[in-house]
Amino acid sequence: MIIYKTFFKVLNKCKFPVILYTVLLLFFAGFNMSSNDKSMDFTAEKPEIMVINHDKEEGLTKNFIEYLKQNTVIKDINNDEESIKDALFYRDVQYIIYIPENFGEKFLDGKNPQIEVKSTSDYLSTLANMIVERYMKVAKNYVGSTSDNEELFSKINETLGKKAEVEVTSKMDTSTISRLTRYFNFSAYSFIAISIYVICTIMLKFNEDKIAKRTAIGSIDYKKINLKLLIANSGFCFAIWGIYFIFARILIGEIAFSEYGLYYALNSLIFVLSTVTLAFLVSKFVKNKNTITAFVNIIGLGSSFLCGVFVPMEFIPDFVLKIAHVLPAYWFVSNNELIGSTEVFAGEFFKNFCINGAVVLGFALVFFIATNIVSKKKVEK
Amino acid sequence: MENIVEVKNLTKEYKKKKAIDDLSFDVYKGEILGFLGPNGSGKSTTINCILALLNFSKGKIKIFGKEMKPNSYDLKKKIGVVFQDVAVFEELTVFENIDYFCGLYIDDKNTRKKYVEDAINLVGLQEFKKYYPKQLSGGLLRRLNIACGISHKPQLIFLDEPTVAVDPQSRNNILDGIKKLRAEGATIVYTTHYMEEVEILCDRVIILDKGKIIASGTNDELKDLANIKERITVETKDLDNNHLNEITQLPEVFEALYEDGILKISYKNEKNNLENVIDYLKSNQIKYRKIYSERPTLNDVFLELTGKELRD
Repeated sequence: MIIYKTFFKVLNKCKFPVILYTVLLLFFAGFNMSSNDKSMDFTAEKPEIMVINHDKEEGLTKNFIEYLKQNTVIKDINNDEESIKDALFYRDVQYIIYIPENFGEKFLDGKNPQIEVKSTSDYLSTLANMIVERYMKVAKNYVGSTSDNEELFSKINETLGKKAEVEVTSKMDTSTISRLTRYFNFSAYSFIAISIYVICTIMLKFNEDKIAKRTAIGSIDYKKINLKLLIANSGFCFAIWGIYFIFARILIGEIAFSEYGLYYALNSLIFVLSTVTLAFLVSKFVKNKNTITAFVNIIGLGSSFLCGVFVPMEFIPDFVLKIAHVLPAYWFVSNNELIGSTEVFAGEFFKNFCINGAVVLGFALVFFIATNIVSKKKVEK
Repeated sequence: MENIVEVKNLTKEYKKKKAIDDLSFDVYKGEILGFLGPNGSGKSTTINCILALLNFSKGKIKIFGKEMKPNSYDLKKKIGVVFQDVAVFEELTVFENIDYFCGLYIDDKNTRKKYVEDAINLVGLQEFKKYYPKQLSGGLLRRLNIACGISHKPQLIFLDEPTVAVDPQSRNNILDGIKKLRAEGATIVYTTHYMEEVEILCDRVIILDKGKIIASGTNDELKDLANIKERITVETKDLDNNHLNEITQLPEVFEALYEDGILKISYKNEKNNLENVIDYLKSNQIKYRKIYSERPTLNDVFLELTGKELRD
């Protein structure tokens, strides 16, 4: 009991930097959640194109340009090579179509006039290409079917005008869940940073050479002392976790207490165990206050960048993600993404959730065993 | 006599340099054993080895008849240590600090409270219970350091230079406390480089130099090792070389030195030496301000054995 009591007395003496640090990280978590609010709703996009027409704007050519006007955004840019290159480079347009001379006439004669194009090779230019190809395929099918051009254009337009209806059947509030996922993903950094900062600050007192020497000649086994200190540290970190969870309710609303929120909470609670044990291990190597900041930055920021805390995992190269497998934050973020993308919490979800959670708990166990090994080495030097 | 600590052929090497070289000694129940030696002579290293805080290259250590290991928690319960450096929490008050370190041995809250109060009384910190370490003077801090080490009422206490940089009042308080601990039945190993403390406190003394025991025994036994048995000091300004030569020829004189108005005469035996000197000074009409006689100190013994001063 005396160890817990002393721990909290020391913590009480360090309360101002601890409160400041916690509030700052909560603020950043809230800020991170509200910024870059990527919506999961679907909105159709139109590519921006430029049409350089060397044909007369009549007949099929006119119909083709009308079709392009409906399905793309046609931009007016100077028709010189330099301006065109700049427009592509700065993504002012994604696609440039050169309609050759007598294009309409040749097409209606059944010849195969080639359209020259330039593109930026991104997904919008691909979309523009698909729009152009669609027109060419439909037009080719109807050429020769009638001698009346007006009837021909009418058939082409009718076919191209058909659209598929898309109905979204999911009842997920994707936008809010996305915010919740980001909030809890960011918590990986918050928990690592707070755990390392606070635990190392307090343990610096307990691990100070002179105090540690006096403790080493005491009649309590170092493993018992480590366990008691770990429990005391966990108590503090769970309190921070509680605040973080309540803050989620305040910022995001009822959904924080929904099934989603509870899974996020459970996942983060497991993660806190790993951060506490990690911080406890790190504290054995901390010699002064300056090194604490270094450890917070290296481990906190390092883990966060490698494991998709700040940047979504899909934007991180595969080899980086492979390296991230050796960090608990990777499994934590994976579970958050899993929760965020799940509509029905059953079967496969449970299996994957438990595997990721077990890996994080495994890390916690490894960190604690490593701490005891380091303590033993220090006692028996 | 019951052996509380047995050290046999203890050797500790740092990168092939011997910090302790084949040390063997016993500590008897109820005694105060003094470890005397200059800084770097191996006193603290010896204590750290005995307490299993340091690995050692060779030798055997037994405490209360059992081999001492880092996980000998049953033995550690009976041992108290006061290290040279003050080791306390800045964030805890005097009472809380002693309570914490006592708590590493004593679980029961009520017993612990009583023990903590006893320790506070022993070192005379009653008025400072609620003070934080940074509010204490150096001497009071040292007293707190001692209280933290002995509050669990250990049977064997190691005190590693507990009076370094302490004011005279605190030093007397600390030395009185140590005497009280012994009176309560504790066995004490006391390291210091202050020979006066050893002479006041210790039943037996081990003199260490460069990791080796160069002499051991009671104060008297050690002083017998010195060639001189008495030293007479005279403060006078009326002495010339003829006088000095004549004094050197007086009976039993081993050596006579005159420097800066102070005459120091060393004797091989203690036989009416003071009377003889006074007679000589009177007969030669030499005026003097002060004259006194001393027994040889442990510093003289150390000087005799190593050719250097203890505080070099």
